[in-house]
Amino acid sequence: MSRRTGAPDRGPEAHPTAGAAAKSTPKAAASTSSTAISATATSTAAAAEPRTAPTGPDPNTLPAVRRPLRRAVALTGLKTGQLLAAVFFGALTQAASVALAGTSAWLIVRASQMPPVLSLQVAVVGVRAFGITRGVSRYIERLTAHRVALNGMTNLRVRLYERMAAGTGAGAAAFKRGDVLARVGADIDDVGDLVVRGIIPAAVAAVLMIGSAAAVAAFLPVAGLAVFACLALVAVGGPAATFRAARLSESMASAARADVSASCLGIIENASELRVGGQFGRAMSDLKAQEKRLATATDAVAKPSALAASLTEIGTGLALILTLVLSAAAWHAGAITATEVAVIVLMPLAAFESVAGLPAAAAQVYKSRAAAARIVALSDAGHSPTSRPSAKRWRNDHAPEGALEAKGLTAGWQEGRPVVSGIDLRLAPGEAIGLVGPSGSGKTTLLTALAGLIEPQAGGATVGDAALFDLTSEARAETVAFIAEDAHIFATTVLENLRVAKGPLTRQEGVAVLERVGLGAWLRALPDGIDTLLDSGAASLSGGERRRLLLARALVSPAQYVLLDEPAEHLDAAAGRALTAELIAAARAAGRGIMVVSHQEDTLAPADRVYRLADGALGMVRPGHPPTKPAPNARQSGDQRSGDQRSGDRPADRP
Amino acid sequence: MKPLDPRLIRRARAARNYMILTATLGVVMSVAVVFQAMVVARLVGTLASGGQTSPGWLRNGLIAVAVIVSVRVAAAWTQERFAHRAAIDTIAELRGAVLNHVVALGPRAQAEDGAAKAAQLVTRGLDALEPYFTRYLPQLLMVVTVTPILLIVAGFVDWIAAVIMFVTIPLIPVFMVLIGRLTEAYSARQLRTMTSLGAQVMDLITGLPTLKALGREKGPARRVRRLSQAHQKATFGTVRIAFMSGAALELIATLSVALVAVSVGLRLQAGHMALVDGLAIIMIAPELFLPLRNVGAHFHASANGVAASNRAFELLAIPLPVVGQTPAPDLASAAIVFEDVSVKAPGRDYLAPADLGFRLEPGSLTALTGPNGAGKSTAVEVLLGLTRPDQGRVLVETADGEAVELTQIDPASWWEQIAWAPQRPVLLPGTVIQNLLEVYDSTPAVTPEVAKAARAAAFDTVVDELPQGWNTLIGQGGVGLSVGQRQRLALARAFWSDRPLVILDEPTAHLDPATEARILESIAALHRQGRTVLLVAHRPSLLSQAHQAVAVRSTAFSEALP
Repeated sequence: MSRRTGAPDRGPEAHPTAGAAAKSTPKAAASTSSTAISATATSTAAAAEPRTAPTGPDPNTLPAVRRPLRRAVALTGLKTGQLLAAVFFGALTQAASVALAGTSAWLIVRASQMPPVLSLQVAVVGVRAFGITRGVSRYIERLTAHRVALNGMTNLRVRLYERMAAGTGAGAAAFKRGDVLARVGADIDDVGDLVVRGIIPAAVAAVLMIGSAAAVAAFLPVAGLAVFACLALVAVGGPAATFRAARLSESMASAARADVSASCLGIIENASELRVGGQFGRAMSDLKAQEKRLATATDAVAKPSALAASLTEIGTGLALILTLVLSAAAWHAGAITATEVAVIVLMPLAAFESVAGLPAAAAQVYKSRAAAARIVALSDAGHSPTSRPSAKRWRNDHAPEGALEAKGLTAGWQEGRPVVSGIDLRLAPGEAIGLVGPSGSGKTTLLTALAGLIEPQAGGATVGDAALFDLTSEARAETVAFIAEDAHIFATTVLENLRVAKGPLTRQEGVAVLERVGLGAWLRALPDGIDTLLDSGAASLSGGERRRLLLARALVSPAQYVLLDEPAEHLDAAAGRALTAELIAAARAAGRGIMVVSHQEDTLAPADRVYRLADGALGMVRPGHPPTKPAPNARQSGDQRSGDQRSGDRPADRP
Repeated sequence: MKPLDPRLIRRARAARNYMILTATLGVVMSVAVVFQAMVVARLVGTLASGGQTSPGWLRNGLIAVAVIVSVRVAAAWTQERFAHRAAIDTIAELRGAVLNHVVALGPRAQAEDGAAKAAQLVTRGLDALEPYFTRYLPQLLMVVTVTPILLIVAGFVDWIAAVIMFVTIPLIPVFMVLIGRLTEAYSARQLRTMTSLGAQVMDLITGLPTLKALGREKGPARRVRRLSQAHQKATFGTVRIAFMSGAALELIATLSVALVAVSVGLRLQAGHMALVDGLAIIMIAPELFLPLRNVGAHFHASANGVAASNRAFELLAIPLPVVGQTPAPDLASAAIVFEDVSVKAPGRDYLAPADLGFRLEPGSLTALTGPNGAGKSTAVEVLLGLTRPDQGRVLVETADGEAVELTQIDPASWWEQIAWAPQRPVLLPGTVIQNLLEVYDSTPAVTPEVAKAARAAAFDTVVDELPQGWNTLIGQGGVGLSVGQRQRLALARAFWSDRPLVILDEPTAHLDPATEARILESIAALHRQGRTVLLVAHRPSLLSQAHQAVAVRSTAFSEALP
C-alpha cells in the first residue's frame, strides 16, 4: 500500500488531456492541465506564487475582506441541487468502495463455511455490482462536480464584470493595481477549484465518515465508535497539519522563493554586464545563499506535511488494531458471528480513502482563500456605502457644452486620503494645456478626476453646468476621453482597437489615423493590415508601437475634451515631441480642448499653458502664448522603429 | 512523453538520491503490506474458523500488526519529509545549469527569446517539478516496486487470483491510450477553443478600466456572458472526454478486485482453498492497484513537470560558442578594427549594425551615433566579444602590426582591460562603496581617488542624499537607485578604474544640463589620461567632444543579401 495523502481517489485528475492529447501537445497540456477548469493558462503560475496577497497600509491595495470564501462562493451563485448531486455521486463512489470491501469479506468467510452456492449468489452479484458502480459513479461525480464549478465560474466572471463596470467613485482604486486585474483569471480558477477540490471532497468525506462508522456500528456499536474516532483523527489532524504547513510556507518559503526569482531575473537581464565586469560568479554565489535559505524553509514546511501524510497511516493502523481487539472480544463473548468479524475488520480499511484526500482539500481551501479575497474586494470596489446613490448619479444623459472647469477639485483613490487638492483649472474648447510634475505627484489622479471617473472628495469638475461624475457613461464618453498611460490593447483587430474610442470608425479613417501617428510602415507589415488580430495585453507590440496606437485612439475620439497621459513615453525625445505637437494641432483644428500630461517639459512646448503639479497642488509654469507656427508633422520624425524606445527614461528603482 | 526523463537523473544528484530513497521505501512498503495482510488474515481467519485463540496468541498477533503499522507510518513520514527538499534541490541544480548556459550563450541568443524562456523557466517553470517530485514520482516508483512485488506474493498465495490481476493490469494503459487516441483530435480542438475563449473573456475583464475611461463598459457585458458560456461549454466538452481514460482506469482496477474476490469466494465454497489465503488475497488485491490509480491521479503533475524539464534540457542542448584561447594584447597600445561588421537583428529581417567599419586607435575618443535600433548597442556587444558578427570581423592590431581576430581572444583577458558603463547598470546586493569597487566580501575604504571619481561622475550628490552615504545598502533588499543614478555609479566606477578601454553607453541620457557638463569635462579628462574612450551618443553635446564620429546604420535584410 502506499501514501494516501495526495487525493488518491481522484483518478487521472482534472485535466483535459489524460490521453493522447497530452502526449501530442505537451505544451498545451502543460499550460492548461493543472485544472480542467482553467479559464486561462495561468493557474499554475498562481499556484507557484501564493505570496502576493495585498496587505499593509498601501493606500492602493484592496481593502481586507471578511469571510472571503463564503462571499466568493456566494458570487458564483452555486446551485445547491447541482452541488448536492456531485456530493451524492462522490459519496456513492466511496460507499461502493467500502461496500465492496465489506461484501468481499463476508463472501469469503461465508464461502469458507461451504454453504450451498446459491446462498452466496447475492454476495457475488453484490461484489461485481459494487465494483462497477464505483468506476461509473466516479466518472459521473467528476462530471457533475465540474459542471457545478464551471457554471459558478461563468457566473462569477459575468457578475464580476458587471459589478466592476457599474462601480463608481473609489472603485477605480482597484484599477490602479493592474496586477490584481491581471491575475483575476487565475483567481477565478482558484475559486472553481475550491468547489471541485475543496468543498465537494470535504462534504463527501463527512458523509462517508458517518456512513461507514454507522455500517460498522450496525454489527458492533463500539467498533463503529472506534472507527469513527480514527476517521475523525485523520479528518481533523490532516487538514490542521496542512494548514500549518501552508502558513509556514507563506511566511518563510515564499519570501525566499521571491528572492531567488528576483536574483535569477537580475542575472539573466544583466548577463553581459556581469560577465564583462567579472561579477557573474559573485551573483551566482548570492543566488546559492538564497537557495540555501529556501531549502531551510522547505525543510521546516516539510515537517507538518509529513505529519499530515503519516496521519492517514496512523488512523488506518489504529482502526485495524481496535477493530481486531473489539471484534475478537465480541466474538469470544458470542455477540457476533465469524463472518461479522471479517466484515468489521476489513470494511473500515476502505473508508480511509475518503479522508485521505482531506489534506489536499485543505491545501486547496488555503490557496483559494487569498484568491477569493481578491475577487470579493474587486467586486466590492466602487460599491462602498459612502458612494452617492446611483439614482442621483445617472441623471445626466446629455452631453453638456462649455468649458471644462475644475473648482477646488480634491480627489484621491480612498476616502479621506486626497492625492490632489484644491485644484482650479479651466480648459476651453480649442485650448491645449500641459501638466508636468514628478512621478507620484498626482498627475494621473487629476486626469482621472477631470474625466469624471472618480468622485471628487471636495470641489468639482464640470463642463458647462454639469458635473462630469454625474453624467451617464455615454454622455461622459461624448464629453471627455481619457487615454491612460497603461490603457489596454484588446485581443482583437487593430481596427476594433481604434473603434473602442469611436464606434463608427471606417477602415479608411483607421488607416489614415495610423499613418498620422507614424504606424504606417508597421501597418503595412502586418499580415492582414488593419484587420490583423493583436495579442491580448499587446505582447506583440513594442512599447513605442503600443503608445502610438493609444495616441491614434486619442485622435479618433469624438469627445469634446481629450486627456492624454504621458503620450511621449517609450518614444525617443524627437518623436515624442513631434507626436504631441501633432495631437495638439489636431485638437485645435477640430476645436477640441486637450490636456497633456508629461514628465518632460520640452514636449509640452506647443501647449497654450503649462502647469506643474507638486505635492498635490497646482502651480503655473508658463502662462499662455498664442500658438504661432504650425506644429511639425509627426511623419517627419523619422522611421517609426527608430523612434521607439523600449525602456522609458524615467528613473526606475528596480535593481 | 516519457514519464521519467533519464536526463533528470543523470543531471541532478538530488534527484538520484531521492529516487533511491523512494524506491527503497517502496520495497519497505510492499513488505509491510504483505506482512499486514498475512497477519490480519491469520487472525481473522483463525477467529472465523473457530481455531485456537488463546489471549497470548491474539496479543502476539496484535503486537505484530502494531509493528507493521509503525513501519508504514515511518515510511509515509520519511517519504513526505524528504520529497520537498529533493524537489527544491533538483530545481536548484537545474536552475543553476540553465542560468550558466543562457548567460554563456551571449546576448543574441538571449534576445532570440532565450532570455524570456530561461526567465520563465528559472522563476516559475521549473517549480512544476515540485509536484512532479513530491506526488507523481513516488507513485511511479511504487508502480515498479509495490505492484510487481505484491503480484509475485499473490502468485505464491493463490496463482489464479494472481493471473486475473496480471491480465488486467496491462489493460489499464491499453485502454487509456486507446481512448486517448480516439479522442485526440476532438480534445485538441476543444482545448484550443477553450483556451481561446478563456483568453477573450479575461481580455475584456482586464481591459475594463480602459473601456470605462472611454465610456464603453456597458456593451461588452453581454459579450462577457456569451463568451463565458461558450467557454463553459467548451471546457465541459473537454473534461467529458478527458475523464474517460480516468474512468477506464478506475473501472478496470475495481472490477479486477471484485473478480478476484468472487473467484476466491467460489473456490473457497468448493473447498479448493484455505480461508486465510483467501483473506490475504482480498487485502493484497486493492493495494496492488493503488499505485496505478495514484499515478493516474497525479498525471497532470507529471505532464507539467516533464514539460518544464524538457524545456530546460532543450535550452541546455543549444551548443555554446567556442571560446577563444589567445591572451588579449595590451589595449593601451593595440587598435581595434571593425571590418564591415553586420549582425542580424533577432527575429527581424534586418541587419543592425550593417557593414560597420571603423578603427579604434588607442588613446582616441570615438562616438558611435545613429538612430534607435541602428545597432549601436549591438556594435558594443560585438566589441566586447559577447556577440559574433554574422558578416565581417573584428581584428585587434598590436603596435607591431600583428592582428588577431577577436573571436580567437580569451574573453576573460579581454574584459579585464575594459571598463563598460551600460545604459542600465546592475546593482548587486551590497553597499554603495562595495558596488562601486566591486568588492563585496569586505568594507572597502572611501579613498580620495574614489571620492574624486565619484565627483567626476557627479555621483557624489547621489551619495550625499542616501541615508547612510557610502555605506547604504543598495540593490535587492536595499535602497533602489534610479537608472540615472545607477549610470552615474557605473561612470564613477569607470573613472576610478585604470582600464585602458572605457565604453560609455549614453552616459548623459538622464541628466540635466549642469550635470551633463560636469560629466563631459570628466570624459575629456579621461581622454587626457591617454585612455581609449568609446561613447555611444545621441546628444550633440556628446558628439562635439569626439575625435571621430562613426555613424551606425541598419538595413533591411533583403537589401543586404542580394
